[in-house]
Amino acid sequence: MGHLVDTSSLLSGVRRGLLPDMERGWRVLAVAALTFFVTTVLFAQQPKPNEYQVKATYLYNFGRFVKWPEAVPAGKGDSFSVCVLGQDPFGTILDSTLAGEALDGKPVVLRRLSKTQDAGECRILFISSTEEKHLKEILNTLDESGVLTVSDMPGFTRRGGMIQFVLEGDRVRFEINLASAESARLVLSSELLKVAASVKRNGRSGD
Amino acid sequence: MRMRKDNSISRKLTWMNMLVSGAALLLACAAFIAYDMLTFRASMVRNLSTQAQIIGSNSVSALLFNDRQSAENTLAALQAARNVLSAEIYSADGRLFASYSRDAGAGVPAIPSLPVRQVETHSFKNKEVVLVRSILFEGKPTGTVCIRSDLEELDNGLRRYMVIAAMVLSVCLVAALLVSSIFRRAVAQPIIQLAEVAKAVTREKNYSGRAPRTRGSRELAILIDAFNEMLGQIQENEKALREARDDLELRVKERTAELENAKKEVEAFSFSILRAKEELERASKFKDQFLSTMSHELRTPLNAVLGFSELLTEERYGPLNDRQQRYLKHIHTGGKHLLNLINDILDLSKIEAGRLQLTFENVLVPISFAEVADTMRPLADKKSQTLSQEAPADLSVRADSTRFKQVLMNLIGNAVKFTPEGGEIKLSARRFDGVVRVEVRDSGPGIPVAEQQRIFEAFYRLGESDKQTEGTGLGLAITRRLVELHGGSLGLESQPGSGSCFYFTLPCAEAVERPEIPARHRESSASELARILVIEDDRTAALLLQSYLTSAGYDVVLCNQPGRALEMAAELQPAGVTMDIIMKPINGWELLSTFKSDPRTAKIPVILVTIVDQPATGAALGADEYIVKPVRKATLLAAVERCLNQRNNIGKIRPILVVEDDTPTREFVAELLSKRGYAVTTAADGAEARSQVAASLPELVILDLTLPEVSGFQLLAEWRTNSRTADLPVFVLTSKDLTLEEQDYIRLHAGLLLQKQQSWQETLLVQLRRTLPGVLSEKL
Repeated sequence: MGHLVDTSSLLSGVRRGLLPDMERGWRVLAVAALTFFVTTVLFAQQPKPNEYQVKATYLYNFGRFVKWPEAVPAGKGDSFSVCVLGQDPFGTILDSTLAGEALDGKPVVLRRLSKTQDAGECRILFISSTEEKHLKEILNTLDESGVLTVSDMPGFTRRGGMIQFVLEGDRVRFEINLASAESARLVLSSELLKVAASVKRNGRSGD
Repeated sequence: MRMRKDNSISRKLTWMNMLVSGAALLLACAAFIAYDMLTFRASMVRNLSTQAQIIGSNSVSALLFNDRQSAENTLAALQAARNVLSAEIYSADGRLFASYSRDAGAGVPAIPSLPVRQVETHSFKNKEVVLVRSILFEGKPTGTVCIRSDLEELDNGLRRYMVIAAMVLSVCLVAALLVSSIFRRAVAQPIIQLAEVAKAVTREKNYSGRAPRTRGSRELAILIDAFNEMLGQIQENEKALREARDDLELRVKERTAELENAKKEVEAFSFSILRAKEELERASKFKDQFLSTMSHELRTPLNAVLGFSELLTEERYGPLNDRQQRYLKHIHTGGKHLLNLINDILDLSKIEAGRLQLTFENVLVPISFAEVADTMRPLADKKSQTLSQEAPADLSVRADSTRFKQVLMNLIGNAVKFTPEGGEIKLSARRFDGVVRVEVRDSGPGIPVAEQQRIFEAFYRLGESDKQTEGTGLGLAITRRLVELHGGSLGLESQPGSGSCFYFTLPCAEAVERPEIPARHRESSASELARILVIEDDRTAALLLQSYLTSAGYDVVLCNQPGRALEMAAELQPAGVTMDIIMKPINGWELLSTFKSDPRTAKIPVILVTIVDQPATGAALGADEYIVKPVRKATLLAAVERCLNQRNNIGKIRPILVVEDDTPTREFVAELLSKRGYAVTTAADGAEARSQVAASLPELVILDLTLPEVSGFQLLAEWRTNSRTADLPVFVLTSKDLTLEEQDYIRLHAGLLLQKQQSWQETLLVQLRRTLPGVLSEKL
């Protein structure tokens, strides 16, 4: 934007001495043209982020809208652990997204888990769709341990998961099972609820 | 007029009030409005900022989770704020995320720029304000919110204020008007009254009026009091002044009366002075008359003595023995001396009385020198003295020619007298320091220093006891006075034993080519004059000849080119020709033979005037007369007369009438004329002359002026008014001292004026011959 202003002031400098109305007209014209040009170029240049890039960012952002009570096991420890259970669909994307970030005043650490038992110290646990068969078992293990469970497997929230990524066309959105979160003593910000595609508020619906 | 004047000060006061209060109010209103506008703007920005903050914090999750709908819902809340034109939310990477616009269809504005490390900025432009605020979440920039708002509220506020200000202003001005009317009563009214009184004072000069006291301001009261006091003082002063004036008038009257008396006295005195002056004038007139009479009475008998003694010496009436001759000579010499003495005394008296009148003209010095030397040479010759003269040929002085010559003659006469035999007298003149210095130097014994000053005194004679020199003792005194009358001074350089030098200075004449010739009769009868052609290539010699001839009454024509001489003579047919011998390119001998062989000029008498002493050659070539230079005037005139007389024929004789009351003079003149062959009749007084002329017209009249009963002037006037006698030639012969006016009168009406104090016989005869060429009864 800086050079835009420079250009218009340059233009006004060039046009100085003409009638003020004319000058103003010129400036408006120039600004409109440049704006069109710049926005077009910017949108064209920036590639559309792929699904897992968005999901990785959301994963991080969830950490900013959720409050963990001091008492939960996940709230202890010197780091903020973001864990992936099962086969990791992000590849290296999640590593680069979380690298150097901090949440709740602690450095974010990414851990890849194979066993559910290890997930007790995680704050956010992404459950890969490969673990669909063990889901019930996993959720039961984590009950009330204060771990925010996130997955993109279908029916995740219905089955007792807290946040489930859904696709609306190209757009990545998420559903929230507030009851699950509340039972794990997690407090989800109203802001987060506001932007969720849907929020389930009463108990687990089906298993 | 009065109303307008009365109004002017109060109107000014009103205006001042209005202006001051109006200006103050305007300024105050402007300041308030400006302050309010600024405040309003600040609060507006604050509001916008709050709105932006709310929108920002409500849009964080929407931004983070890419929920446009949520963001737009948030923005839609701005509908409540009617002033917001549009609002946009941009994502952290600068992309438009959500937007709101009050008026549908408005375009998306430019991406707002936010200065680095600044959370919020705003700008006013194009009647709107744009506020940009970055959205921070947990200290991280998450996006940007931009709100545009119109300034309608501000404008409305401004308009409202304006209306209020205008109302306040008009109310205040009305109030000011009311207040000023009170002022006018308090301030202007007394001033106007004061001005009225002042005007009345100026107009009517009535200092008794007073300005009314005022209850207004203290200063005004002081002013009015001071003015009244001043009026009082003026009133007093005026009264004092009037009294002083009355007093002064009285005193002036007294003084005037005194002056009147004094004036009368002065008049009486001046009357007596006038009478004294008249008496003095009468006395002076008597003196003049006495001088005139004396000159006449003394000279007349002397003229007789001199004339008859001279006639007797000619032995016309019988031979005289030696003793008789000697006695006659004594009588003649004594008479001449006496005449000189009388002339000198009269001259001196005239000079002393300031009655000598000089006729100034340009006088060529060498001519005067030559004439004077010619006159004085016989005297010098007697004592074997050489008399030489030297002066530049063109040197002229401004002088009375006669008196100039008199001065020279006096000085030369003295020199001759006091220089021993064989001595040398040198006459010289030169230009000196703007004037002409004339010197008469002699080789005499010189004059002792003790006597050098005294010799200029009247009647002083050098070497008193020495009786061998004769003289009146008046010469030098007269000479000095004459020089002084010319504006010069006479001086003497002398050392005993080595001669004396008398010198004097005269003013230079204006440069003139020709000397002014005192040819008094040329104008009146030029055609009758006997004409002489002077052929002479030396200018000075020619001028000298001209001077001699002109003084004898001839008309002279100069010819300085011998080559043209013959033609000139043939054309002019002169009565005679004088001719030099040594001339170029044709010498006199050749010219003479040419003249004599040319029939046109053969009969013209030729007088050779030359330094070549060969009279025989001249006679052989046919010259009528031969004169060897240096030429003497008498010789020249005698020669010319002889030549001319040869040509004259004797005609019918009419007598010449001599009118003279003095018997000896009458007889002498008659004798002089009859001796020359003229017929003469006489008349002893004016009445007799009148009757004689009436009876028969004479050839010519010789007229005395001082006659008993009928004067010569009277006769002359009568004859000139009568056509019969208008052309009668009249020669005036008188011993009366004439004024310049009288001389002019006579020159106009008479053919010749002869004064007996000069030697007149010669002139008379010359003029007679010229005027009456045909009446000579016998040859001389």
